[in-house]
Amino acid sequence: MTPFLGPLEEGGHIPAHQQTRVAAFLMSAHGAQARALAMSLPGGVHDGWQLEMHVQYCREMEILSLLARATSWTADPMLPLLAWSWEAAWLPRPAEGIAEMREAMLVDMAAFGHALHGALRPAALLPEDAREIDPFAMAMRRLELESGRLMQGQTLFLKGARFHGARAAVNAAVERRHVQVRELWDVMLRSIEVDITNRHLAETAFQIALRNNALYQASLQGAAGKAEQKGAAKN
Amino acid sequence: MPSLTHGLSRIRYELAGPAGAPAFILINGLTQYVEIWHPYREALAARGFRVAIFDLLGQGVSEKPTLFINQDDQVGVVRDLVAELGGGPVFIGGISFGGVIALRYAIAHGDTIAGLIPISAFAEVSPQLYLLGKAMMTGLVLGGTSYLMDLLFPMNLSNAWIGPHMSALEMAKRRGWLLNDVFALQNLMESFLDFEPLTPQLSSIRVPTMILNGEYDFLTPRPLQESMRVHIPDSALVIIPNAYHAFTLEKPALTADLLARFAEDVLAGRWHGKQTIWVAPEQPGGEITPFPPGFDHMRAIPTKLPAHKETTTP
Repeated sequence: MTPFLGPLEEGGHIPAHQQTRVAAFLMSAHGAQARALAMSLPGGVHDGWQLEMHVQYCREMEILSLLARATSWTADPMLPLLAWSWEAAWLPRPAEGIAEMREAMLVDMAAFGHALHGALRPAALLPEDAREIDPFAMAMRRLELESGRLMQGQTLFLKGARFHGARAAVNAAVERRHVQVRELWDVMLRSIEVDITNRHLAETAFQIALRNNALYQASLQGAAGKAEQKGAAKN
Repeated sequence: MPSLTHGLSRIRYELAGPAGAPAFILINGLTQYVEIWHPYREALAARGFRVAIFDLLGQGVSEKPTLFINQDDQVGVVRDLVAELGGGPVFIGGISFGGVIALRYAIAHGDTIAGLIPISAFAEVSPQLYLLGKAMMTGLVLGGTSYLMDLLFPMNLSNAWIGPHMSALEMAKRRGWLLNDVFALQNLMESFLDFEPLTPQLSSIRVPTMILNGEYDFLTPRPLQESMRVHIPDSALVIIPNAYHAFTLEKPALTADLLARFAEDVLAGRWHGKQTIWVAPEQPGGEITPFPPGFDHMRAIPTKLPAHKETTTP
């Protein structure tokens, strides 16, 4: 297991079987969100939130198209089974504690979108030495950047005055979707030998450079050295 | 990886140094994480202190609440850590956002600590800080954590640090970018939306307090530090020369030395804050000198104080 995708193939590319599994997962999740948005789109745009929904739908379609084209696909016999389990997980489930069914469904859709755009970090899967202009790597970065912006729609909706009275229910719905999305993401990653649990422990190129920098080491040891001298003087 | 549970949230922390020794709890600023304090862990443990460092709720590897983060919960985490350390003297230091949490802790639970070190902190949000905060949040939303860090680097670090690291800045951002999620940072920043000034409560802080302020800090500049100095009775303001907002990153050896000297003075009964103003040395172990009497420490150019204000210097 490694904390990032790879080892990289010749030319700095992510292995095709990893690209396939990651892209399939993302397409399943973003596809589910696109479908939910499409079914909720009003006939005409009369209000700001309807416009936002339209924008979200278009961006989700863009993400799907980008993933389909930027991925180096390869045969993956596990995909039908995995896709079935993912699709089952994304099925709408009205948020508990919100009496009005349409509101409860909207909260769940926004909660799922928040998890999708907030909890998933596709660009953070890339190793430092991934080729800068590799299409798949670029798609992962693009998707993560776009997700941060898209999430604002969900954030404003879920934190808005409309749900002040149902804050606990909304919070619980978002937490549930985050846990669900993260768990499935982690399982999928482990199936391609990637475990992000301890990626904070992975030494970055910068840390390695610092560790090897004599001046930096000397500055760190300065305080400790002086303390030792002081202790020796006391004794 | 040790962790403690606060409510339903798991908090990552690290402990180092001899058990039972006087302890430091160091609290991170925005986008920071446990490893940032490792130079302090080494330096302070070498001087016989116990050191507790942790990822704030919503940062690093600690739990990231999805929609809302309450600053009271951050204070609760510090309370749990203090309990974890046992009954010995505890000093709490925090930088920037972490400094606010440290101040809040000292106001609420001052009787459980021996000393307080607000570093580049603030007790009130000035109009400039408010607008800077808003701009940073827009930056986070539009450009992600990476862009927020792009903003923070030149605001918070000196040319002396950035210059030699210029070609490696992208790499330098990587760990912070990896460990922090946009939604969680946004929640942390939004916890300031209803921020009520702490200034009226500062006088309730009775513990020795060393306020650290970078000479060139324009994110939380001198007036914000001054309000802490004049309201906390046993405080002293120490100005770090040639330093910006994040001097804890840039000058770890010097800052760790100042923390240790402060704690040693407090424990030995030598500390007398008296709302005095000092200038830190350039190097660890150097002399901490009184701010020149008769001059205005609020100004960037040497300006004589009116006679009636001259009592503020040691």
